[in-house]
Amino acid sequence: MPFIEWRLKPQTGDNTLDTMESIKQTFFQECEDLLQDLESGLILMNDGEGDDETINSVFRAVHSIKGGAGAFELTDLVKFAHIFENTLDEIRSDRLEATKEVLTVLLQSSDLLMDLVEAAREGGSCNEERSQKLMDTLAGFIGAPAETPTETAMPDFEPQSMDDMGFQPLVMDFGFDGDGDDQQAAGFSIHFTPTAKMYAHGNETARLLATLASLGDMKTTCEHADLPDFDDLEPEGSYLSWDIELTTENEEEDVRENFEFVEDDCELIITPLGGISLPELPVLEDLEIEPTPVAIEPETLEVKAPEPEVKKTETKKNTETKTAKPNTGAPATIRINLERVDRLINLVGELVINQAMLTECVVDAGLSQDPSVSSGLDEFKQLTRDIQESVMAIRAQPVQPLFQRMSRIVRKAASATEKSVKLVLEGEFTEVDKTIVEKLADPLTHMIRNAVDHGIESPEKRVENGKPEEGIVTLSAAHRSGKIIIEVSDDGAGVNRERVKQIAIDKNLIQEDANLSDSDIDNLLFMPGFSTVETISTLSGRGVGMDVVKRAIQSIGGRVVISSTPGKGSTFTISLPLTLAILDGMLVTTAGQTLVVPLTSIVETLIPSPEDIHPMGSNSVINIRGTFVPLVDVGHELGFTQEPTDTNNCVVLSIMTDDGVQSAVLVDTIQDQRQVVIKSLETNYGHVPCIAAATILGDGRIALILDVDHLIEQAGQRTPSPELPQIAAE
Amino acid sequence: MSIKDQIKIMVVDDMATSRGLVINGLEEIGIKNITYETTGDAAFEVLSKAPVHLVISDMNMPGMSGLDLLKSMRENASTKRTGFILLTGSDDPSLVQRGIKLGMNNFIKKPFSVPQLKSCMERVIGKI
Repeated sequence: MPFIEWRLKPQTGDNTLDTMESIKQTFFQECEDLLQDLESGLILMNDGEGDDETINSVFRAVHSIKGGAGAFELTDLVKFAHIFENTLDEIRSDRLEATKEVLTVLLQSSDLLMDLVEAAREGGSCNEERSQKLMDTLAGFIGAPAETPTETAMPDFEPQSMDDMGFQPLVMDFGFDGDGDDQQAAGFSIHFTPTAKMYAHGNETARLLATLASLGDMKTTCEHADLPDFDDLEPEGSYLSWDIELTTENEEEDVRENFEFVEDDCELIITPLGGISLPELPVLEDLEIEPTPVAIEPETLEVKAPEPEVKKTETKKNTETKTAKPNTGAPATIRINLERVDRLINLVGELVINQAMLTECVVDAGLSQDPSVSSGLDEFKQLTRDIQESVMAIRAQPVQPLFQRMSRIVRKAASATEKSVKLVLEGEFTEVDKTIVEKLADPLTHMIRNAVDHGIESPEKRVENGKPEEGIVTLSAAHRSGKIIIEVSDDGAGVNRERVKQIAIDKNLIQEDANLSDSDIDNLLFMPGFSTVETISTLSGRGVGMDVVKRAIQSIGGRVVISSTPGKGSTFTISLPLTLAILDGMLVTTAGQTLVVPLTSIVETLIPSPEDIHPMGSNSVINIRGTFVPLVDVGHELGFTQEPTDTNNCVVLSIMTDDGVQSAVLVDTIQDQRQVVIKSLETNYGHVPCIAAATILGDGRIALILDVDHLIEQAGQRTPSPELPQIAAE
Repeated sequence: MSIKDQIKIMVVDDMATSRGLVINGLEEIGIKNITYETTGDAAFEVLSKAPVHLVISDMNMPGMSGLDLLKSMRENASTKRTGFILLTGSDDPSLVQRGIKLGMNNFIKKPFSVPQLKSCMERVIGKI
């Protein structure tokens, strides 16, 4: 998980504090990753799928958290991580078997560690009793008292003495002068060989040497052994090289800077004078070149005589390391402030609008037929789309961390209800817009708690019903036809419909004689004020019901539906837009209004013949290739007009709703198909039924984006004929 | 030119926090030439082409551990004389023993203070 490294500035006074603070922030960021590694590793082990590397990475995670915590004197964290780490070490070295019992405690410890990190970050504290209890249990496993590590905080400075370990530091002699501040001959030995190119580019050695001389005292020798006979002399060739001994207080960079503009056109070897040569030495030895200390005497350059090429390259490489990218080999990842990405997304939104406006201007100016203009516009459109998709990809992140958090919720819920539940994750690498991921956390938590609390039966009951004792809650994510589908399902008892209906009647949510289909009853769970638990349980009944979940999901442009089979379990399906910023839409006109229909919900568009449309109650049905599907007149349904749309002159959009119901909507005409920028109505105005959001069109007008599913649902509720889709064609 | 200006040190640690602490400490001591690598493998690759004077490496890293790195360094002609300080979270004597056998120059236990880091280095390279 490497990311752009902040380079630390030289320390002066307050800066140190800032730097430590910034490292501390890095620590907490790193903890997030580590805790995730820890948890996923432990879950793997718990599932019996762990190997040596799994326990190693689990150990490393706790070890690193402890290490970092120690540096910032987060004593609670260090204390707990210490015993946790020791226990893991015992397992790692096969002194302790990772039984189910041990793993349960380890998972609890991982949860606590997470809380402790959180507490340290927020500056709060954690339940000490819980911490102590777990520490005692862990200590019990490894047969040691839960003692505090002796050096939790940074001990006062004392010279490191490893004598008691029988260790004496190995002294290295690099030929450095012992007393650091004592200056030896400070300066550099420079070997400079220009190529013909350098001269061709208009540079002169004389000028370079003159500016170099300004850095200090300089002794220059010109090497002219390569100079050919006059007859063979190429007037534009380069035959000379220079050896320079520069005594200066300046840095190597300053010397190098002098040659900045000719760097690529010369060979430049800079070695500190009277300085060190150790790293170079082994290389030279390796090449069986006399290991003459490079810089001590000016004559060193003779070394190059036998094998000049080899030595030069090696030395050059050494000088290169300084500027070499330090992160070699590691996949480059960066952490970016989210605000910057958001700003980029907003700009892309503006670009999309601008592109639409430009297109409109071109059409208005009568230029749309001009092939160069239209192909230019097409290209612009494609580029805008590419940019948009690339920017969206920056924000996309796998749902894995979110899903993993849920396994913690399951563990907590299971232990609170004394049930045995396993969470199975599927498609956790599905990428979802970051904003959506964040907003999913609360509803998912609630649904998962519900699944454990209400869905899964008690172990006894499960055994009675011939099910395995351990219940399974499955959390899955997938991309499906331009949407993200997240499912929470359990293999529990399913919705107890009789009870649900009775409660709804008791709470006056429905009439006693209401004739409801099974799915209608299941959907009662989403009604405000519905809660099947009479006494609020500590777990899922926190005063919020599934209606809150539904609203939360709607607020991010999603929908949630339930399907349930008695005795087999229930599935909640959440469908979400890929992004909250831009959508592909079809621009339609109805009753003089321009509306946007999300492209993802449109299956096909067709021009119907009037005889295919049959009025039915206050609505109509349309015969699409032998199947009757409900037809919703958009303009009429939304109240734009009292008159029904003229069926002789209209377009029908065949729609597939998220719950898989086929339906159709009627509009006057189709204008265009394009990307539109989503502008929330809720934040700017307020919620409007059947309207998902608004957008700005190319001409600056505002168009509403239709919530097709809601529209169809609303029309369906008005027509008391839920069996409608099942009517077979004659 | 003092040691501080001349010595080239490479810090090897997979954790940004720990790496940051060491680099920060070295900069506070006044070391000018500091590079870093995030894995033992990457470090060895770079070192074998361009040795430094001193490597300060973490012990616990995925893939090549600190001692694995030390072993590879000691077996390679161009890095066998490079100084090596092991950064460790534990003072497990057997770890230290293994380090001694492989030719580690010194070790430092986390958490450490800047003076401790300095003293640890001075025991290897002389007064800074």
